[in-house]
Amino acid sequence: MKRTLPGLSWPRLSDEPIRVCCHFCDALQEAPRLLEGNAAYCCRCGEMLYQNRPRSLARATAFSSAALIFMVLTHLFPSITVDSGGMRKELTIMEAVDALFREGNALIGVVAVVFTMVAPLVLMGGLLYVAAPLRFGVALPGAVTVTRLFQISEPWSMLEVFLVGILVSLLKLGAVGDVHLGTGLWALVGLVFCTAWAMAGIDRLELWDRLEIALQKEEK
Amino acid sequence: MGEVRTAASEGLASCHMCGKVSPVREGHCPRCHSKLHLRKPHSLERTWSFLIAAAAFYFPANLLPMMSVSGLAGNSSDTILSGVINFWKKGDFLVAIIIFSASIMIPILKMIALTWLCLAASGFTSASPKNLARLYHVTEFVGRWSMVDVFVVAVLVCLVQLGVISTVTPGPAILSFASVVVLTMFAAMSFDPRLLWDRHVEEAAESPETT
Repeated sequence: MKRTLPGLSWPRLSDEPIRVCCHFCDALQEAPRLLEGNAAYCCRCGEMLYQNRPRSLARATAFSSAALIFMVLTHLFPSITVDSGGMRKELTIMEAVDALFREGNALIGVVAVVFTMVAPLVLMGGLLYVAAPLRFGVALPGAVTVTRLFQISEPWSMLEVFLVGILVSLLKLGAVGDVHLGTGLWALVGLVFCTAWAMAGIDRLELWDRLEIALQKEEK
Repeated sequence: MGEVRTAASEGLASCHMCGKVSPVREGHCPRCHSKLHLRKPHSLERTWSFLIAAAAFYFPANLLPMMSVSGLAGNSSDTILSGVINFWKKGDFLVAIIIFSASIMIPILKMIALTWLCLAASGFTSASPKNLARLYHVTEFVGRWSMVDVFVVAVLVCLVQLGVISTVTPGPAILSFASVVVLTMFAAMSFDPRLLWDRHVEEAAESPETT
């Protein structure tokens, strides 16, 4: 849909241009307010400084809540079912992690739990917890800590890698028995895409600017 | 291009968590309470140590078996490379290429790239900071995909267990392999790309006639 109205810039504490510096080359520059859809780039190295993404809070809220629903479905339904010689085996993320715990060792199990369960949950749950109340200009208690937490967990959320792992192992499994794809797999696909869209929905700088305003309102 | 001032020269630090620019002597970011640094602390030393550790783990990860399959047809254990060769022989070229690039190429290229970035930041090699920045972006993005092999093993262990036909158990390489991935990710995170620009500015100041 084509937008006919010009978008708005997100609110800041002051209307003056603030200073930002490029996280890549540390060049100090004045940051003007941007209209929706525009982006600011570093004058020295061309790195993107920040971007006013359209309908950012709505998108972050919508996709992160969808991702959480998909996450529940992924854990409830098996992704792959294998029938071989009267034996039936079902794969969920938890089963896979549990297999690593039992057959491998505890350390690799913990790593798998963090990458496929804890980090994605913190990421999407955290984003929803912060972004949804921010739509009404409210910051829930602990919002600052939650935002920091989910920012830290972002690189460690590896569900898309796990999904590719499932697809690769499908080819190896063909030799073992009848392989059926289940609801869990489609839920996982949905989860991966929703996570990507949710994180692409909002700029870090915008999230913190809005959080700052919400926190200041609370103090008054 | 006009004179560009860096935040560091003004005594300002941008918060690595929320991006707010504040004087570094305040110690903590007023907005998100993270610690403020002009540059990531001990960036090069940390990156080097993570890199060396990752390189050390790279050998057991590739030499030891990744998983072993036991069944009616006898026992066999596969290292990463022999797994790739098996896929290639069976005609699954796509899978062979995916596993080869994710498990063998990416870790080693990532380690080489980070080594180069570290050398460039300490002034041993010279390249334009823009290209180096591009290299850094690629390293950061691509590193996580090496975990694919660990997840493949997890899935296979889960599904082909106690089956009549065969049983799959994870091999000792899997832990080393995960360590390589995690350590190179830490190495990429502790590297501070601003050091590349600091070096560039320094070099430009030393030889003004060439710039």
